Amino acid sequence: MEYTIFTILPIFLLPFLAFVLGSFIVKRSEKLAMAISTVSIFVSFLFSAKIFSDFIFSQFSKDYYIHKYFNWFDLSSQGLEFSVDLGIYIDNMAAVMLLMVTGVATLIHVFSIWYMADDKKYGKFFVYLSLFTSAMIGLVLSDNLLSLFIFWEIMGFCSYSLIGFYHEKEKAGEASLKAFMTTRVGDVIFLLGIVAIWGVIGTVNYVDIYSAIANGVFEGKMVLGISLATFAGFCIFAGTVGKSAQFPLQVWLPDAMMGPTPCSALIHAATMVAAGVYLSLRMYPLMELGGITPFIACVGGLTAFGAATIALVQTDLKAVLAYSTISQLGYMVLGVGVGAYNAAFMHLITHAIFKACLFLSAGSVIHSLHDHQTHDHVQEMPRMGGLKTKLPLTFLAMMACTLAISGVPLFSGFVSKDRILGDALYMAMTNKVYWVAYLLGALGAGLTAFYMFRMMFLTFFGAPRDEDVYKHCHKESLKWNRNVPLLLLSIFTLGIFFSGSPSGQGIVKFGGEKYEWFKVLMVKPIPKNFTTYSKEKLSTQDNRDKILWPKSSYESHDYGLNEEDEHRLHTAHIISAIASVVIASIGILIAFLMYIRQSFSSERIISRAAKFYKILVNKYYMDHFYIKIVIRRGLLKFNRLLANFDLGIYDRYAIDGWEHISRYCYRIADFFDRYAVDKIGVDGFGFVIKDVLNKGLRFLLAGKVQFYFIVLFLVLAFYMFRISTA
Amino acid sequence: MGLAPYLIISMILFILGIVVMMARKNIIAILLGIELILNASALNFVAYSRFLTNNIDGHIFSLFIIVVAAAEAAVGLAIVIRFFQVRKSIHIDEAVWLNDEV
Amino acid sequence: MFLTVLFFLSATLTIASGIMVVVVRNLMHSCMALLGCFIGVAGLYVTLGANFIAAVQFMVYVGGVIILMLFAIMLTGNKPEEKVGSFLLPAMGNRRTLTWGLITALVFFLSVGKILLGMFGIGLGKKTAPTDPSLFESTVDEIGTLLLTDHVLAFEMSSVLLLGALIGAAIIARPETSKEK
Repeated sequence: MEYTIFTILPIFLLPFLAFVLGSFIVKRSEKLAMAISTVSIFVSFLFSAKIFSDFIFSQFSKDYYIHKYFNWFDLSSQGLEFSVDLGIYIDNMAAVMLLMVTGVATLIHVFSIWYMADDKKYGKFFVYLSLFTSAMIGLVLSDNLLSLFIFWEIMGFCSYSLIGFYHEKEKAGEASLKAFMTTRVGDVIFLLGIVAIWGVIGTVNYVDIYSAIANGVFEGKMVLGISLATFAGFCIFAGTVGKSAQFPLQVWLPDAMMGPTPCSALIHAATMVAAGVYLSLRMYPLMELGGITPFIACVGGLTAFGAATIALVQTDLKAVLAYSTISQLGYMVLGVGVGAYNAAFMHLITHAIFKACLFLSAGSVIHSLHDHQTHDHVQEMPRMGGLKTKLPLTFLAMMACTLAISGVPLFSGFVSKDRILGDALYMAMTNKVYWVAYLLGALGAGLTAFYMFRMMFLTFFGAPRDEDVYKHCHKESLKWNRNVPLLLLSIFTLGIFFSGSPSGQGIVKFGGEKYEWFKVLMVKPIPKNFTTYSKEKLSTQDNRDKILWPKSSYESHDYGLNEEDEHRLHTAHIISAIASVVIASIGILIAFLMYIRQSFSSERIISRAAKFYKILVNKYYMDHFYIKIVIRRGLLKFNRLLANFDLGIYDRYAIDGWEHISRYCYRIADFFDRYAVDKIGVDGFGFVIKDVLNKGLRFLLAGKVQFYFIVLFLVLAFYMFRISTA
Repeated sequence: MGLAPYLIISMILFILGIVVMMARKNIIAILLGIELILNASALNFVAYSRFLTNNIDGHIFSLFIIVVAAAEAAVGLAIVIRFFQVRKSIHIDEAVWLNDEV
Repeated sequence: MFLTVLFFLSATLTIASGIMVVVVRNLMHSCMALLGCFIGVAGLYVTLGANFIAAVQFMVYVGGVIILMLFAIMLTGNKPEEKVGSFLLPAMGNRRTLTWGLITALVFFLSVGKILLGMFGIGLGKKTAPTDPSLFESTVDEIGTLLLTDHVLAFEMSSVLLLGALIGAAIIARPETSKEK
């Protein structure tokens, strides 16, 4: 395909224009806003699919990229250079990301048509969805950190307005504020990182940063006493921590389920949280250079494990999914930390698909259950049960996704997650720090299997626990806008789409190397490849050098490892794969025994470990810590201190003192004013104007037209007389 | 015929126009006077063109005077009719809203 | 010979009806006198060889402006004393305005007369022979050429002016409907 302004920009601009248009017509016609939004995202999906097929189906080599730029503004003058370029950067990763974002977003739009159908803010929801999706697409297409940050913040705003969509509920309003403020902490540090990079190397372009790394520009540069690469890497990772809900800042994401379920699916799967990991992957060379990868791995492992433990005790269907999202994001960050670039990205994609499906399925379940006392939908798992017969299609989709997320072989989650864990194990063999990350990750995998199956068993199996709710649940039939998106998504939870070997480790293989497209094409950016690169102006013409499009070679690929390391990697992967399967089956088995066979009751365990249970229910007291200690004790005290300073010192001396001075000045001025200005100036003028000018002008300007005529003709006659005598 | 009779006729028309504008208090009558004045000047142009110059630019000029006079008459009479609708009178001394004495 | 007769007739008509315009008390009659005055001016144009201008004068003034004036008079004056002067003086005038008008006219007459006397003093008044008689045989094609070459800008602008006057007159004269309620 020719990559011109007409084929790349519509991907971003169509949803954006749908937002602009929709926000104007949403008051007139909600249905029209919905249709515009859905159609535009679908068309943009078609464009991305074309780019995807060009990039992936062996059109270009694995490190091929398209980089087009345009000048945003140029303030250079007289030797001072200051111009900012924005641009579009598409490589294999961006192509896959684009397809995922637009594809999942399209299905979520379709599902929302059903889910939001009887909502009174039907059209408005789609308007927000359009803006959200377009911001994510813009973020993926960005070629530099600055425009990425702009779209990042637009998404922050959208998540705010979507989480608080039912802002008439107090809880939703609070949740949206919490999400916005918590991610803001990460964003500020992220912005600091961008500024640091810009200040030192003068550009925030990805490719420029890569080539700066290769040219050693970062060497010896210090910021605040630590090396620039470490500082910038850390700051950018802080952005990821905020947006992808990693350990210290994960508190916003569980509350984000206050929004409508399709928007939860969009936030948790395709757009918002994926953006953080995407950023980490893009800036991976910088983080590697800064040497903060062990730290990243540990944060990821801790998040993966901690969130999984909290998910064990949640009773709300969406809360379980929210914590599982945090946990899975932990795996992605863990993957970034252990250098499993490719696997982390694969997990991002597979997770996006199965998590979108899980959330939409949860929406499908919740929407069909009504509480007739409160007229609300039922989200609590203890009131469900036995829904398998009532909602068979939803059950089918949700089961596939649960198998995927639990890491059952043949499903996508297994392929990606266990490649991350395998790499973690391999790194642990060389560096002791990574043992922490690996063990936390492996334990988390077991817990994931357990809580996901617990959720499935509580929702779909057993006897219905709330007869009233169960009775009023209608039996579902196949609907294009309810089940089709779910089933489509659940098809892509199969591992075969991502890797040829069902285990993902290359132990069992079928098909050729071509099935390993993901592993072959998504490669770590190697900075020294970017020292010579070219970009071109975004225009209506495609001027790429078309001869230099070598096709990807699937035949031979080496990862720069010697034979011994390769052997060790292989061993690590085998061990980890077996361990994962064992752990996952144990988790599933325990869930089965506990909730189906009821061999041992969960209540007994809870009463045994009441203290621990309480900690988990209270989410490790993180919210408590932030609100009670950080905000109440710390920030509010600081606030009061500033207020005291303001009132006590600044007000008393600066402002009151100034008042005294001005009071003296005022007395002098008052005297002058009263006698000099008022008596002489104002009254004098008043007399002249009132009694002298007024009467004269009144006579002249009385509005009598014929008086004007007389004056006019007499003056004219006078002139003529003068001319004739001259 | 020489130039002089035309100029004298033109002058008489002009002065008659002035007298009409001055002496009458009816707005339409004032417009009549303006038409007289415009005719006088147009006549002057054609006369000069005939006797003093070698071209007919004077004709063009009087043509444009007629055009402007027609436009002026249309708009002026429209204003008069509007004025009559508002004030129920077309006395020129009614048009003194700017003066607070009314 | 014909032109001389025409000149005297036209001049008499013009001045006589011009004076009628001033002195007639009824506004309708005054307007009719103005019609005669215009016809007289058209005759004067013919004696000057300006046939086209004479035709335009007939069409625009006699056919258009006077009709417009008559309509305006008929649409506005609902009281007899607004059409006919309340005293001996014409159309709402009074002695004071007539006096002022005559004074202005006198001043004007004196200054214009002084200029004219100056002109006749250097012999301009006796200039009779047309410089080029063939120029005034037919003025139509000459005027047409000039209008679309030298004076095309003024021509176009006057068309815009007429359009504006048309629309403006229509808008201004439109009665105020129930917009205010």
